[in-house]
Amino acid sequence: MKLPATSSSKAPVKFRMPTADNLVPIRLDIETEGQRYKDAFTWNPSDPDSEVVVFAKRTVRDLKLPPQFITQIAQSIQTQLTEFRSYEGQDMYTAEKIVPIKLDLRVNHTLIKDHFLWDLNNYESDPEEFARTFCNDMGIEDPEVGPAVAFAIREQLYEIAIQSVASAREIKISKKGRRGAEHAISSKGGGNALDLMKLFRYNSSVVRKRKEWYVYEPIVDILSNEEVDALEAREDRNTR
Amino acid sequence: MEMPQYDPNTKPEFELYTIPSHSSWFRWDDIHETERTALKEFFDGSSISRTPKIYKEYRDFMINKYREEPSRRLTFTQVRKSLVGDVSLLHKVFRFLDEWGLINFGAVSRGDDSDNRDSSLGDTELKNQVKIEEGAPNGVRVVALPNSLKPISVPNSGADGSGNGKVAVAGETGVKLPPLASYSDVFGDLVKLKGFKCGSCGEQCNSGCYEYSKGSFVICEKCFKNGNYGEDKSKDDFRFSDLGGNSLTHGATWTEAETLLLLESVMRHGDNWELVAQNVPTKSKLDCISKLIELPFGEFMMGSAHEMNSCPTGSLNSLKEGQSASSENQNDVKMEDQVHDQMNESKQNGDAATEEPPAKRKRIAPLSDGGSTLIKQVAHISTMVGPHVTAAAAEAAVAALCNESSCPREIFDGDEDYLANGLSSPTMVSDPERALQVDASKMEENQSETQDASSEKNDVPLNLRIRTATATALGAAAANAKLLADQEDREIEHLVAIIIETQMKKLHSKINYFDDLELIMEKEYNEMMQLKECLVEERIDVLERALKTGVSKWRS
Repeated sequence: MKLPATSSSKAPVKFRMPTADNLVPIRLDIETEGQRYKDAFTWNPSDPDSEVVVFAKRTVRDLKLPPQFITQIAQSIQTQLTEFRSYEGQDMYTAEKIVPIKLDLRVNHTLIKDHFLWDLNNYESDPEEFARTFCNDMGIEDPEVGPAVAFAIREQLYEIAIQSVASAREIKISKKGRRGAEHAISSKGGGNALDLMKLFRYNSSVVRKRKEWYVYEPIVDILSNEEVDALEAREDRNTR
Repeated sequence: MEMPQYDPNTKPEFELYTIPSHSSWFRWDDIHETERTALKEFFDGSSISRTPKIYKEYRDFMINKYREEPSRRLTFTQVRKSLVGDVSLLHKVFRFLDEWGLINFGAVSRGDDSDNRDSSLGDTELKNQVKIEEGAPNGVRVVALPNSLKPISVPNSGADGSGNGKVAVAGETGVKLPPLASYSDVFGDLVKLKGFKCGSCGEQCNSGCYEYSKGSFVICEKCFKNGNYGEDKSKDDFRFSDLGGNSLTHGATWTEAETLLLLESVMRHGDNWELVAQNVPTKSKLDCISKLIELPFGEFMMGSAHEMNSCPTGSLNSLKEGQSASSENQNDVKMEDQVHDQMNESKQNGDAATEEPPAKRKRIAPLSDGGSTLIKQVAHISTMVGPHVTAAAAEAAVAALCNESSCPREIFDGDEDYLANGLSSPTMVSDPERALQVDASKMEENQSETQDASSEKNDVPLNLRIRTATATALGAAAANAKLLADQEDREIEHLVAIIIETQMKKLHSKINYFDDLELIMEKEYNEMMQLKECLVEERIDVLERALKTGVSKWRS
């Protein structure tokens, strides 16, 4: 479903992921009987719900987890899916919005930090493609990094989409004063979005100043085993 | 294109960048239609973050960034950090430029196998460039024994001077690798030509040497005469081998007559150097080939493989390759000869039927075959394209040659008439063979004419004659093509007629089927009507009987 993007279009759009494929990011973190299962993947919300249980069973069998995990996994996925679907019926405003996306993740031995801009209005954007290019250009050999990067991007986009739904709801409530609504729209979620007027003005250039290049440059670090262990320990401490 | 600081004393240097020819629409100061259609988002005025000006900035930045270092492959990640905007959109622009070759055209292509990668891009590129070195690296001399100074030359069946080295190598390593065929082809003759050092007096044997038949020992003529045979060797053991006539640089004095003979035989026999050498009695095969190359258009005759080498020394090398690998080429040559003969044959016989099979075979073979001569290729191509194209090409070729100098015009005047005749043969559909015969005979006439003319007066330049012959051959090829095309047309018509007939038959049978069906339906209908009548009658019967026997009173 594509929206002809015009800067003045403020028509609400039905909620969906602002990417080419409408996939939901699902994150699992289940701990039972001393065993912990952490995973993150994308799910297609148009798959029938029966698939959830099938998937849970298959995962437990492949990873040789104890069978209690099946129900827990299925439940967790189902909850997140329902949450996604609850947003689906609602409207969101996606006027021109270019948001910064930050990547800060560790996948096995690879540490990635990155910062770039993403257009929410671009319904043809593809986080998977971005992740693929990223891994190719940076010469990353670990095949788990690509999907992790794509997932991180999707998660952030999902967050932003949810926020825009919330703000759309607020606007509806305050629709009584038209002028007020306009003002609210232009400054909605203003913290994150870039001020397009300032950036893409006629006199300014879209080429960044050299001293700013390092900000938007990706950093890929390969960690040694000890560093990995140290980081994991710290993460565990943080989540407890 | 960058200009370094302008110094009035030096010329400004322009750096050249290569882009593929299908991207020649690209201009720095303009945005082309191709860009507008491929990247619509920038040009439909839909947002302030996507304007033509912004697109131009993105594009110019990426191209300039690539051109800072044209040999390294620019990655998207390197550019996106410097540009403000949606990364997906930037990626789209980047991919557009990449596909059109405006960036990364000369860069190393990245390996698809991710196992080859390093985290640093430089290493990746180096790994993908495999360097192949042949033989020992420069500065390294392979010697037989650890401390001897005598270098080992390539073990070669042809070369006899290196026998010592060969034996020693075998002894040392225990494994004697067979010489690479290509190596011996290229270097075999060179080794042969190297001067032999006399085993006894140590001087160079230039003119002739005596080889020891039981081993590999060489002495010069002088020593032979003097009786210095070396230890344990007697006079009878030596055999004379003459190196005199073997060098290419001297001994080739070609007279006009010989050149003429050479050209004729090359035209007749193509690449079959054995026959050519036979026809030119005083010169060896090697001499023939080298002379031909030295002639200004000699490579024209030799075939496209040798055309690649523009410098004579380069061509000389490839010549040696071709010559000493003659066993491999023999098959090709024979095949070429066959085709040549067939072409000639069919022209002379004027038999359309036999023309087809060879032409068909040629059609199936690949278009640009490096092993075939230029004439064969031209004929090949002319069978593939339409006859009008070929005719136009032939005319253009003739015109081009005429434009070069006025002299050939006289020669071609005779040609043009006959070419026109040959090309207007479409009207003579009924008698194509005769036309071809006419062409062929005229061509032969013309050839002999031109050759007579030149033998009378030797001032007609050699290359023009050859070009004449070539142009006539092109014309004949064009006529050939036209005839084949006519045949194909007829075949197509015939086939189409068959198809139409079959369709008609199909329709007819369908109609018949439906007619039968109708008949059956009618019959059934009739039967149904009859049945209906019967039923009505029966009903009437029943009612009558009922009335006869009396009706019970109706209750009102």
